[in-house]
Amino acid sequence: MSDKTQDNILRKLLLRTQHRSRLWAALAALCVGTTLLLLSVMIWWNFRELLYGKGQNDTLGSTFLVIGKRVTEQNMGVPGATIFSPGDVDSLRLAPQVQEVGVITSNHFPVYAMMGGKLPLSTDLPLECVPDNFIDKMPPDWKWQPGSRDLPIIVSSQFLDIYNYVFAPSQGLPQLSQSSVKSIALNLKVGEGDKAETFSAHVVGFSDRIGSVLAPQSFIDYGNKTHGKPGATEAPSQLIIKAKDPSDTKFGDYLQRHDYATNTENLRWSKMRAIVEVVVTATGILALLLMGIGTLVFVLFIELTIARAQQSLTLLLQLGYGPRYLSKFMSRRFLPMVLGTAIVSMIITIVGQYVASGAVQAQGLVLPTLPGWPVWAALVVSTAILGALVSGSISGAIKKQ
Amino acid sequence: MQLSLQGVIPIPLREKVNAYQSGMWDAGQVFNKGEYIFIQAPSGTGKTTLVHILYGLRTDYEGQVKWGNIPLSGVNKETLANLRTHGISVIFQDMRLFPELTAWENIEAKRRLTNSVTAGQAGEWLDRLGLVDKKNSLGSTLSYGEQQRVAIVRALLQPFEWLLMDEPFSHLDHANTTKAIQLISEVVKQHNAGMILADLDENTFFPYTQTIVL
Repeated sequence: MSDKTQDNILRKLLLRTQHRSRLWAALAALCVGTTLLLLSVMIWWNFRELLYGKGQNDTLGSTFLVIGKRVTEQNMGVPGATIFSPGDVDSLRLAPQVQEVGVITSNHFPVYAMMGGKLPLSTDLPLECVPDNFIDKMPPDWKWQPGSRDLPIIVSSQFLDIYNYVFAPSQGLPQLSQSSVKSIALNLKVGEGDKAETFSAHVVGFSDRIGSVLAPQSFIDYGNKTHGKPGATEAPSQLIIKAKDPSDTKFGDYLQRHDYATNTENLRWSKMRAIVEVVVTATGILALLLMGIGTLVFVLFIELTIARAQQSLTLLLQLGYGPRYLSKFMSRRFLPMVLGTAIVSMIITIVGQYVASGAVQAQGLVLPTLPGWPVWAALVVSTAILGALVSGSISGAIKKQ
Repeated sequence: MQLSLQGVIPIPLREKVNAYQSGMWDAGQVFNKGEYIFIQAPSGTGKTTLVHILYGLRTDYEGQVKWGNIPLSGVNKETLANLRTHGISVIFQDMRLFPELTAWENIEAKRRLTNSVTAGQAGEWLDRLGLVDKKNSLGSTLSYGEQQRVAIVRALLQPFEWLLMDEPFSHLDHANTTKAIQLISEVVKQHNAGMILADLDENTFFPYTQTIVL
């Protein structure tokens, strides 16, 4: 049986009063709402990928802070006053926003560095070590074994900046690039007297995160054991922590309560990030509101269409047309429109993701070229809810007849 | 399918009904399949109201109406739709065509619900009632007589056990009434159906098995 004639008749009776301009306006409102919703989920997800994803963007998501106990008039000169006890470290692990805590171990043995060649520099050199997972750019040859004379070290980028922009111009010395620094051998004299050892140190990397000179943990442990000053405490005076959002006031209160000092500039960056998160959330809420309005406009349009066809609808029911049959007919008309707006919105979102992926690539960051699963989930959920609302309003309006 | 009425009184007619003895209102009536019932009803006694109550269009009454074992009060809309497409058909007094559809589209709107009658058969019935050149005329442009003939054909386009008719020939001349009676008789017989015809005056349109004064 061909239902085409019957469909044409029903279309004449039930949809003839439809105003095309109003239909397009309702569809446009729905499409804008859905698109904004998907885009806000996309932005939110991309933001999460950049901040907390497991990829190359990991360091964007967390803030690394080096903290120490504040030196005050009261504790100044008091032995052990700024040392972190195991209890302090455990407590910090449980502090708000703290994801990881690493102990910074410093050398308790004398280290004297001498630079040969055209740079007759020599200085006492403090060394530190941190767990490997706290190093921002891990060099491939970052290891040292007892007996080895070659020692890899990582230098703070700030040190090179101070040399290039402050020290070298004032002393008439040549400025150095990072690669040239890596090629310079540094003689390190470790220990005192007859026990002193000499090592050939090479800068293998630069750190933006830690403001000192790092040596592998095994070397610091060896040096402290072999050349350490008797009675020197091994407890750390500095800790490095990975915090999700250090701008959180609870975290700030924790630091203040324990009188811990840290770099407040990092906290400011975190505040910026928190602001961006708020903006993204606000956009999402606005998108939900717009989608709600779009849905309302569309549903009202359907109800108005049904109300205008009330006379025909009543007579159709009197002739024996079932409410379910008529609801299905109306749904067949309107649900493809919902699906159409969802497809258009998704295409716009896919293009948006592609553009965003290309834009962040220029910044050295990585985003997938296709929207993440939450965007697809939002599409499915919003379309399902919208479809249910449209079907519900159609069958509700028909049952009222 | 048996039709039974038990103590039915339309609420708007309650006082009026109490004032006289009705053969239908507030009485117990059982009509068996295949019966030809004539309801004779002077104006204002609730003839159309009765047809509407039997067809499930009105619920403002006391008592109970049952089609087979289906009580009309509280029946769900899907069951009612099924009853209206397979159990009972109706010719309304006011015809109730879609004015925006042509005569043929009015026919098709009903015929395609069940497809129990072919398009050719439906066309032939229209021809028999003299509507061959009115098929493409809009319902709104048909005369009352033409509308009534379309409504008669429309009522026959489905399987039914009962045909309800409310002054079905009120707008027809004698010749067209005879043609319509002939057509209705044939189709009702074909379905082994019964009929309930409500009209103002006594008539011999059909061989009634019961006449009830409302």
